[in-house]
Amino acid sequence: MKEIKVGLATCGIAAGGETVYEEFKKEIKENNLDIPVNETGCMGMCYAEVLVELVDENESHLYSKITPDKVKRIITEHVMENNPVEDWIIRNNTIDKEQDFSRKQKQIVLRNCGVIDPGSIDDYIARDGYKAVQKCLKEYSPDQVIDIVKKSGLRGRGGGGFSTGLKWQFAQRPVSDKKYIICNADEGDPGAFMDRSALEGDPHSVLEGMMIAAYAIGADEAYIYVRAEYPLAVERLLNAIEQCEQRGFLGKKVFGTDFNFKIKLKEGAGAFVCGEETALIASIEGKRGVPRVRPPFPAVKGLWGKPTNINNVETYANVPWIILNGADAFASMGTEKSKGTKVFALAGKIAKSGLAEVPMGITINEIVNEIGGGIAGGKKFKAVQMGGPSGGCIPASQGDLKIDYDEITKTGAIMGSGGLIVLDETSCMVDLAKFFLNFTQNESCGKCTFCRIGTKRMLEILDRLTMGEGKEGDIELLLELGEKIKNSSLCGLGQTAPNPVLTTIKYFREEYEAHINDKKCPAHSCVALLTYSILPDKCTGCTLCARKCPVEAITGKVKEVHLLDQSKCIRCGLCYDACKFDAVEKI
Amino acid sequence: MEQEQIKVTINGNEVVTAPGKTILEVVHENKIDKIPTLCHDDRIEPYGSCFLCVVEVEGMNRLVASCCTPAAAGMKINTDNERIRSSRKTALELLLSNHYADCIGPCINNCPANVDAQGYIALISMGKHEEALKLIKQQNPLPLSIGRVCVRDCEVACRRQIIDEPIDINYLKRYVADMDAPHKWRPEVKPGTGKKVAVVGGGPSGLTCAYYLTLEGHKVTIFEKLSRLGGMLMYGIPEYRLPKKVLQDEIDWILGVGHGVDVKTNVAMGKDFNIDSLLKDGFDTVYLAVGAHKASTMRLEHEDDTEGILWGIDFLRQLPDGIPELHGTVCIVGGGNTAIDAARTALRCGADQVKIVYRRSIKEMPAHHEEIHAAREEGIDIQILTLPTSIIRDENKRLKGLVCIKMRLEEAAPGERPRPVPIEGSEYEIICDYLIGAIGQAVDNDFSKDEKDLKLERWGNILADGKTLETSIKGVFAGGDAVLGPFTAIASIAHGKQAARAIDEYLRTGEAGKRNKPFLSFKHKFAEVSEHELSHFEKIPRTRMPELPVKQRIDCFDEVELGLTPEQSAYEPKRCIECGCSEYYDCQLRLRADDFNVDISDYLGETRKYTVDTRHPFIVMDPNKCINCGRCVRTCNEILDVSALGFVSRGFRAVVKPAMEKPLLETNCIACGNCVDTCPTGALTEKFPFKVLGTLPKENREAVCNFCSIGCKINFKVLHDDIFFVSNAEEGGLNDTHNRGYLCVKGRFGHRYLMGKDRLLTPLVKSGGDNGLEKAGWEKALDLTARKVKEIVDKYGPEAVAVLGSPKMSNEELYLLQKFARAGLKTNNIGSFSDILYGLDRDALDGIMGCTRSTASMDDIRDADLVIVMNGNLSEENLVMEMKIKAARKARGTKLVLINSSEAKLTKFADLWIDSRKGTNTILLNGIMRELIEKGLVDKTNMGLEGYNELKEKTAPFAPWKVVEDAGITAEKYDQLLEWVETPDQKIVFVYNIDSPREKSKNDLKAAGNLLLLTGQLNREGSGLIITREYANSAGILEMGVTPGYLPGFVKPFESGEIKRIGKAWNTGLEKIFKPVDLEEKLLQGEIKALLVFGEDPLVVSDNYKYLKGVEFLLVSDMFRTDTAAEAHVVLPAASYIEQDGSYTACDGRVQKVNRIMKPKNGMENWKIIQTLAGKFDKSFDYDSLEAVSGEIENVNRFHGGNGKGCFNKEGKPRFVTYEIDTATLNPELPTLLYSENYYKTKIKSQLR
Repeated sequence: MKEIKVGLATCGIAAGGETVYEEFKKEIKENNLDIPVNETGCMGMCYAEVLVELVDENESHLYSKITPDKVKRIITEHVMENNPVEDWIIRNNTIDKEQDFSRKQKQIVLRNCGVIDPGSIDDYIARDGYKAVQKCLKEYSPDQVIDIVKKSGLRGRGGGGFSTGLKWQFAQRPVSDKKYIICNADEGDPGAFMDRSALEGDPHSVLEGMMIAAYAIGADEAYIYVRAEYPLAVERLLNAIEQCEQRGFLGKKVFGTDFNFKIKLKEGAGAFVCGEETALIASIEGKRGVPRVRPPFPAVKGLWGKPTNINNVETYANVPWIILNGADAFASMGTEKSKGTKVFALAGKIAKSGLAEVPMGITINEIVNEIGGGIAGGKKFKAVQMGGPSGGCIPASQGDLKIDYDEITKTGAIMGSGGLIVLDETSCMVDLAKFFLNFTQNESCGKCTFCRIGTKRMLEILDRLTMGEGKEGDIELLLELGEKIKNSSLCGLGQTAPNPVLTTIKYFREEYEAHINDKKCPAHSCVALLTYSILPDKCTGCTLCARKCPVEAITGKVKEVHLLDQSKCIRCGLCYDACKFDAVEKI
Repeated sequence: MEQEQIKVTINGNEVVTAPGKTILEVVHENKIDKIPTLCHDDRIEPYGSCFLCVVEVEGMNRLVASCCTPAAAGMKINTDNERIRSSRKTALELLLSNHYADCIGPCINNCPANVDAQGYIALISMGKHEEALKLIKQQNPLPLSIGRVCVRDCEVACRRQIIDEPIDINYLKRYVADMDAPHKWRPEVKPGTGKKVAVVGGGPSGLTCAYYLTLEGHKVTIFEKLSRLGGMLMYGIPEYRLPKKVLQDEIDWILGVGHGVDVKTNVAMGKDFNIDSLLKDGFDTVYLAVGAHKASTMRLEHEDDTEGILWGIDFLRQLPDGIPELHGTVCIVGGGNTAIDAARTALRCGADQVKIVYRRSIKEMPAHHEEIHAAREEGIDIQILTLPTSIIRDENKRLKGLVCIKMRLEEAAPGERPRPVPIEGSEYEIICDYLIGAIGQAVDNDFSKDEKDLKLERWGNILADGKTLETSIKGVFAGGDAVLGPFTAIASIAHGKQAARAIDEYLRTGEAGKRNKPFLSFKHKFAEVSEHELSHFEKIPRTRMPELPVKQRIDCFDEVELGLTPEQSAYEPKRCIECGCSEYYDCQLRLRADDFNVDISDYLGETRKYTVDTRHPFIVMDPNKCINCGRCVRTCNEILDVSALGFVSRGFRAVVKPAMEKPLLETNCIACGNCVDTCPTGALTEKFPFKVLGTLPKENREAVCNFCSIGCKINFKVLHDDIFFVSNAEEGGLNDTHNRGYLCVKGRFGHRYLMGKDRLLTPLVKSGGDNGLEKAGWEKALDLTARKVKEIVDKYGPEAVAVLGSPKMSNEELYLLQKFARAGLKTNNIGSFSDILYGLDRDALDGIMGCTRSTASMDDIRDADLVIVMNGNLSEENLVMEMKIKAARKARGTKLVLINSSEAKLTKFADLWIDSRKGTNTILLNGIMRELIEKGLVDKTNMGLEGYNELKEKTAPFAPWKVVEDAGITAEKYDQLLEWVETPDQKIVFVYNIDSPREKSKNDLKAAGNLLLLTGQLNREGSGLIITREYANSAGILEMGVTPGYLPGFVKPFESGEIKRIGKAWNTGLEKIFKPVDLEEKLLQGEIKALLVFGEDPLVVSDNYKYLKGVEFLLVSDMFRTDTAAEAHVVLPAASYIEQDGSYTACDGRVQKVNRIMKPKNGMENWKIIQTLAGKFDKSFDYDSLEAVSGEIENVNRFHGGNGKGCFNKEGKPRFVTYEIDTATLNPELPTLLYSENYYKTKIKSQLR
């Protein structure tokens, strides 16, 4: 019996997965075949989408980069003639073209992603789904559950890295008639999509994790605060909740015990700051999403003033595995203080962008060079940016750094929720800092003086720098403001907003200095600082550049050296790209 | 449960405090440090946004916001060090970098002497010319002269010109100065110090310095090289611009105004004296203001030895002593004011033709454009782009003409004037008889040739310190043109003043203190102010200065500009757009900016720009000034539950806006103005009914609001004399009073009616016929009144006279009024229309507790478990009480029950709204009492009360089903109400609005009294009844006995002992006079022939004419010409409550003293009016002061004596009046009460704390 699974997470859809899916259905119908075509979640290899898994009688074959026009051949040759199309297969029992990508990975959170149909609770149950929560309800007391989670060493995967077990304990302690569980699915870092993939690919494991947490702290109601920009995740979550309710996994007397639990979905309107727990709570309460001072912490006074436990998607998704496999199994992975695995979204100038779940303790170089296949286009690896707008960059020179909460923090970056952007020699660090600061500046709620105006002023300085209008003292001013913003802001957004600037200054100060003193961008990225000129000894007078130039800045007769008028040049770079003789120089 | 105290260490000191407090609270409580904050208001929940209050906590890397961080046991806190100060400073700098606002008008800032132009324009607009002059002279002692010759940097900066043209600021100044031309106004002068100052140079700078120093008490001598004082004003400005007499008068005034300034003329420094000799002669310090009188050279060959060539400055210098004669063509070289002055003067000296030669174009001429215009009007030919290159002269060295070359202008760098370049071959000749060189002046250095230690600049100017004007010689100062080079008169005045300040400090301390310039925000420092931003102002053309016609003026030296007319001076100020912030003195942002010496230049960048919203009638919103502290939003939401304001947008664009970004008026806004009061900047300000007086300091004067009976403390901010506005009590005083600074719309904005122009100021009498009311003197009006009343008494007896008072009057007025009726007129016809019209239930509780008044205080609401409000629409009538109830709900979950037939704002917030039918509240309360009795939930001590069984019997029929049916409420609501009332051991505060004519019905209040008695709430501290009333002294009017029913102190007709005691005090046989009277009936029957109405206007309702049908003589005393006053035979103008001292009794028995805010406009305080009138009947009305009246009240009124305790404590703060009536003496013949006929026999000691 054969089965076809098409990767239909957002990455798959974006690559055209839906048309491939439809094409398979059409072909199967036309050929009167009785083969199910199912959806599945993200398999991590976003760079290789559309991914199609064809399970035949013997084994599973993973097809990569499938387009609708390739579907017919797969159906005829592989399905009908049992002759796998090896050209397109990247993995089966004999082929493993992508072993570098998967070899160093260890999948706990993503254990079901790309394997099961996320729309099917039976698929989840078939892979030991909801066994963990039943085990807890029947075999463990809440204290024991908390002990296991504490012992596992699981730390908050949302970025804070606080001990999950301890957090649960804090929420368990207060006596209250009502307690809440909140799942923070307001993933907002630019370039990060770990939570989205987990929700799209395996919503049930998140629900199960929440159920276990609820049982542990004594909550009977939960909210999943998910971004409205994740429509597929919302759809799959709603579907999963409905299935649970139908099976009695949610509602009154869950699994026949005294445990009552319901989960509601709350769609966030896309404010980044609502990822901050107090702002998130305010938002669920229908108020303006603005952080408030802590203490009191949500564990004491949270949603509607009741003790509340908030964890993010990835944290909850780890929990069922820990319960089933034991705290020790989890704690055996990783470093002394950072246990288990971490999912990273690899993006940027890397050859293979995608999702990778790696054991803690792996080095940055291993992730970039082995899993990610190195830098695209053979350029030089310069740095990684971790933790999104709250994080910072780690230079390539520290590539041997182990993935570990505390080690990363020491560099000035943070582990964050798992965004990992790889930068090469063409990335301007000032521009990078500007990009992230622009993001936080726009996403600041506007409450605290330093975050509201301070980040704006820093951004203006960076703007100045990239426009070639930097002046002496700007770096010092950035450092001073950055330090003050970190010190005097109420929530994590403000406290970390200057990190991208501070770390880039720390590791790439000379780049800043070049912008200010020489009015040059060493990465040749800041347009305003570029100068294009034609090298007379290389110019053949082919006229191509002159014809491409949109502002007629280049003049010259055929077979004569061309001239570029700097006063007209708008630095679009078309001439540089057009020249076949490397006669256009960019400095 | 008492929680244990915690210990924290602050700046090394261990402090013990209760847990749960914030660090800021602990620091301020223990007075360890004054931590600055902008976003914190201790009446609302901590927020933490401005980050000015940051402190260090040991063990924490980050700074923490002390306003919202709880102090924890063992915390080690540091509130002040370099890191903290630096962070606070940056916070302020960041806030100010996005504060697109003007602290003061750019006109003030651009004036070198910083004369408060916006302030005096505002004062002129109010007709306060003397005050305007005083304000001007604080900065500039020569307004008569400067008002004529100033270069008007103020007008250059005036924002009005973006709309049309600048305000005519200078001429307005001249207008007020001209009004005081006889120089009557005198400044304050400090006593003599014995210090001597030598001022060298008697020009504007020297005169100014002398003026301010003499006011400080120093002895000044001016040394002047020429024969007259005035410097360039005297010798450089021609008569037709500044008449010598005007200048001389102004100089003479300065010389005589203080300790007298000595003058030595015709003495030159460097020749007759030097610095050393001055110091030897006993001068303690020297101010050098020698000016710049040396003409600059034209650099033409033979310019020094050709006949017919003059120098502008020398030419003009001759004028004070005689008019030089000229003829033919006169050519002037130069483009400044001296050139124009020389040209226009030459015309008046007999020249046939006058030409000006200038090397740039008209636009670049430094002369004032109005002067250029006047010169052209007078026929002067200005040849621009022309440069003289050589002189043509005859063999006798007599001038014949000059050769000129045409110029063209070359573009120059931004900020610089275009450079003139000769056009080759364009030479031409000008034939002329005289050539006057007027291209500039320089300092004549003859004065300094002996002064080796005096450092000079390259151009010969004296080198002086920018801040102190001290020269290179200690104790020697210099200023004016001598330092600046030839510059403006106003800049010289500014120097003179600056030097005076430094010299004064030097003389007192031995050092000239350096002052930092205060921080001032200006819009133009951020970006150019656009026309669009000011588009809401309509275009209003500028006034034109009346001038002498050209034909008339060119033949004489008469002053050309004639001065604005009074109409123009009233019109022009209306054009002022009031740039300067009304919160200048109160703006916490500006004040803190000065504390931290901020500098925003590093952070200048994008700034928010919003148009100012002035659409609300009372509130102006300027989001440009908002610092996002959210105090307004939080006050509006948390305290008032109104939510008219909120935040919009995120990040840098986040700002406070009215809900849904509608105009504020279209939101739920109730115009209470509490947002304005809490705003730490000028983002929310009051929309004043007058021009903003930005930098005039405000005087704070505390008072008690006169609108309702709650008795809120308010603060009159008096800008000047009778110009004021009201705000909350000042910082620190907020917790001193039950309203904690919060006010309602009436209290905040209502008092402005007192500034109305339509006040009655003189007595009026009806002279007979149809002439109506005519003005009369006090004596005549009072005599006439006395005569008329006596005639009526003679004719009909004293019972035909009635005196009516108002519940808005003070205790003292009311006391005197009833004493006037009883002791003076010998009648008990004393009362109030408010009582006659709405007095139902006024005595409802007399039978229960001896008198009808509140038993709980406003502060008890804070601790109540249940508040029941009957008949009240608190949102409209007593907002502050509503706020207190809401606060109690928030703080301790106090439940609120509203009993009101119709929906009111508060019904939305009430925990239970009993919408009983009108007139059924007695049934409702009876029903509750029945249930309480049935369930045995009655206060045990009161069960033995007489009448209990009867009450039980009479309430028995009110079974729940009946109550529900009769009152028309749902059973659920009734059950809920019962459940809450039945809860044992709780504190209930019952609020009853006695002045609600629509809702209440007879016996409601009695039933409420019975209910509270039954539940023990009347005897319990912190619970009981609050009776709210309409007017400020509704309670006092009864306490003072302005009713036929009581003598002062609720003395009733059967209390013979008290009646006797009071009668003795008044020297009157009260027994015969004080007897029950139905005043309403007597009025209706026409038995009252003479009616004396004080402070009431019954005829505003025409139906009330029925009460006046028998009246033959009507006296009305009121502030305004009311409908009743229009009918009166005599009208006495009354003083307003802010024009006189007095005390008022709030609804909860709090007697509060109020001091007057200003002098009575009508010329007499009201108590004095009553006393004078009463004195015409009874000689004993001879109080010499209001205190004498108060003293008598304490003596006569048994409560106000308070068993010798009085109404006020030692600090003069109000105390609640304790009252204790021995009800055993009460008359059992009292009219029976519905269910409590016999209760009066019980001893109810109702005691207010």
